[in-house]
Amino acid sequence: MRLFTPYYLGANAANFSERSGVINIAIEGFIIISALGYALFTIFSGSAIVGLVMAVLISVSFSLLFSLFVIKLKINQIVAGVGFNLLMAGLAKFLIVFLFQSSSNTPRFNSLPNIFFLESIPYLGKVLSDYIILFSFALVFISNFVLFKTKFGLRLRSVGENPEAGESLGIKVRLYKLYGVIICGFLASLGGIWLASNQNSFSDGMIAGRGYIAIAAMIIGKWKPVNIFIACMMFAFFEALEISLQISGTFIPSQIVQMLPYMITLLVLIGFIGKTKPPAADGIPY
Amino acid sequence: MNIIEFSNISKKFGNLKANDNISFAVRKNSVHCIVGENGAGKSTLMKILFGSYRQDSGIMKVNGSDVSFNSPLDAIANGIGMLHQHFMLIEDFTVMENVILGSEKTLNIKIDFEESERVLKEYIKKYNLDLNLNKKISELSISEQQKVEILKLLYRNSEIIIFDEPTAVLSPIEVLEFFKIIFQFKVEGKTIILITHKLNEVREISDYVSVLRRGKLVYETEKDILDLKVLSREIVGNVEIQDENTGFDYEGEPEVIAGLNNINLSVNKISVLNNLDLKLKKGEVYGICGVEGNGQNEVINILFGLEKNFTGKLNIFTDKISLVPDDRLKKGMIKEFSVGENLIIKKKECHYISNKCLKKTAEETISKYDVRMPDINAPMESLSGGNQQKVIIAREIELGNDLLIFSHPTRGVDIAASAFIHSTILQQKKKGKSILLVSSDLDEILKLSDRLGVISKGRIVAEFDRNQYNLQNEVEKTILLESIGKLMIGITGEQKN
Repeated sequence: MRLFTPYYLGANAANFSERSGVINIAIEGFIIISALGYALFTIFSGSAIVGLVMAVLISVSFSLLFSLFVIKLKINQIVAGVGFNLLMAGLAKFLIVFLFQSSSNTPRFNSLPNIFFLESIPYLGKVLSDYIILFSFALVFISNFVLFKTKFGLRLRSVGENPEAGESLGIKVRLYKLYGVIICGFLASLGGIWLASNQNSFSDGMIAGRGYIAIAAMIIGKWKPVNIFIACMMFAFFEALEISLQISGTFIPSQIVQMLPYMITLLVLIGFIGKTKPPAADGIPY
Repeated sequence: MNIIEFSNISKKFGNLKANDNISFAVRKNSVHCIVGENGAGKSTLMKILFGSYRQDSGIMKVNGSDVSFNSPLDAIANGIGMLHQHFMLIEDFTVMENVILGSEKTLNIKIDFEESERVLKEYIKKYNLDLNLNKKISELSISEQQKVEILKLLYRNSEIIIFDEPTAVLSPIEVLEFFKIIFQFKVEGKTIILITHKLNEVREISDYVSVLRRGKLVYETEKDILDLKVLSREIVGNVEIQDENTGFDYEGEPEVIAGLNNINLSVNKISVLNNLDLKLKKGEVYGICGVEGNGQNEVINILFGLEKNFTGKLNIFTDKISLVPDDRLKKGMIKEFSVGENLIIKKKECHYISNKCLKKTAEETISKYDVRMPDINAPMESLSGGNQQKVIIAREIELGNDLLIFSHPTRGVDIAASAFIHSTILQQKKKGKSILLVSSDLDEILKLSDRLGVISKGRIVAEFDRNQYNLQNEVEKTILLESIGKLMIGITGEQKN
């Protein structure tokens, strides 16, 4: 259940961006940079809260930069996204080597504080005492409410579906796209922070394509928060299964076990979902 | 009282004067029709009024004060609403979401769906719109979608409503419903501006009529003194015709090469072709004239094999058909490709695109069709419209096909290139090709065709044989033009008052 957190944060991040018509595969990069940001600022300040705030700020600033490229300069969104991801992965590796003279990890650091009195609850204590996990559960309702019940959500979705129609009614199309991408940066950063905080260390390659899986979960969930929740739960379940299989050791070669979550993605995409319909103007610069 | 006043409005696009010194006024609480042929400048003028375009010169007054609109938002703020020909709706949204978008009523941070629903249901009832607010646009018919657009205007309390050819997409019964809505608008005190080229509609609902022709305001009239005969004359204008179609007679046997018999076709349950009959013969130019959207494109698509869902009999005695389409940029060429590539794209030779092959084709074309271009590697889009059209015509003719279809062959083409294209068409006729010419330029049709059919509401309503009239005779010409003009806009004998 805990593994679900980064997927759901990432998938919701992607959804806010795509609902506004911006395909944002840079989520992976946002997660990497915020995990790293959290790691560095926690190490250097000694405070996990400082790490949290800085990581969010860093991710949001990068999402502003991304907006500049794809909304203002209308660069192809896929190209910009791939560029961002490569840049972040490279930057992370470089900073680790440069700052810690280690080829792969940072030193250990603190995790975020917990809601301590809930920790003692049996079985569920670990989940219920984690702010970010709780937030991501709440996000099912928050996202649904914001997207479908508020003025903001209606306008955001309208620019992702038919920006010409939105504009003819006086909606500032690019501004709403910007909002979409910034919310995306914010949610993605929480995913990165959670990952780093949980491992108490940042290592090169630790994000391991979770951003992409999140995007897959969003597609499988047909751009709807509740369906995305189910998709993320499924991925988390298979990842947990993979981990427990690896730990317990089976006759199945570990490589195959590791492939499991990804194979399931493919199978689900091929077999069970049927036709999915993205926002009509998704990926088209305006 | 005048709610809108145009004085000396002019707007140029390149060398084309889309609006040339137009001045007139629209009275408050009236239905004002603006009529004219395609390209007469009606839409341009309305787009200026709605803030989509800015006039080059002239003054516009709304409610007595000077206005200058930078965008449609300014127009909306002045109580002007426009129903576009192409709807501005979001397919995946519900009717309700589409209507309230941009002017949502809110309760705290939530959209107040209940209140919106109450307000909208009132409008729906009052105007008898019969819409389900929770259906998605993609589930609605075209006429229902139009009603959603009307609901949008009502919700925004527009006082002046512009309709751009609103009935083009409607079936006759839906048109009647639409008129009821218009009358209701009038009862409510709103002002309606209606762009149309259907004269029977003008007769039914207009209080005032302004006629535009070639960018100029040429005629104004009002309900009590409305004379449709005069109106149709004013719309078509006094066409100068030079009889060019002599000396190009085909000497062979005029066999029938294609025949359409009793063709019916419906698109989205609206009938577009209605018992249409047509025969095309060798060595003959058959011209179809009519107001655009009366089935011309569908006839072409059926002949060219693009449209198959029709009933009736289609006989084509050749499989060698060429088409010069109406929209050359989108349908006639690949604008990013070079001129040479566009020329050989349909050729059966030249499997391997060698420079030699390209060069040979291009050089032939340059000399034969008088195409002016920097070199064969220049992208098609860098050529002028006339030269682009010549390249397309060259490509289609050089295929040596038996049936040549030309759709608006000289649209947006300058005079010299037009003349060249006309003589090319006539030369092909002399060679025994069968030619179908579709054009909204009456002048062009009269010049070139041996027989001409007037199409209206998906049907050839009359045919004229070249031998039946003498264009040199002023009286005969006037009679011919008048009757064609009337037929084009759907006034037939039995509809006369």
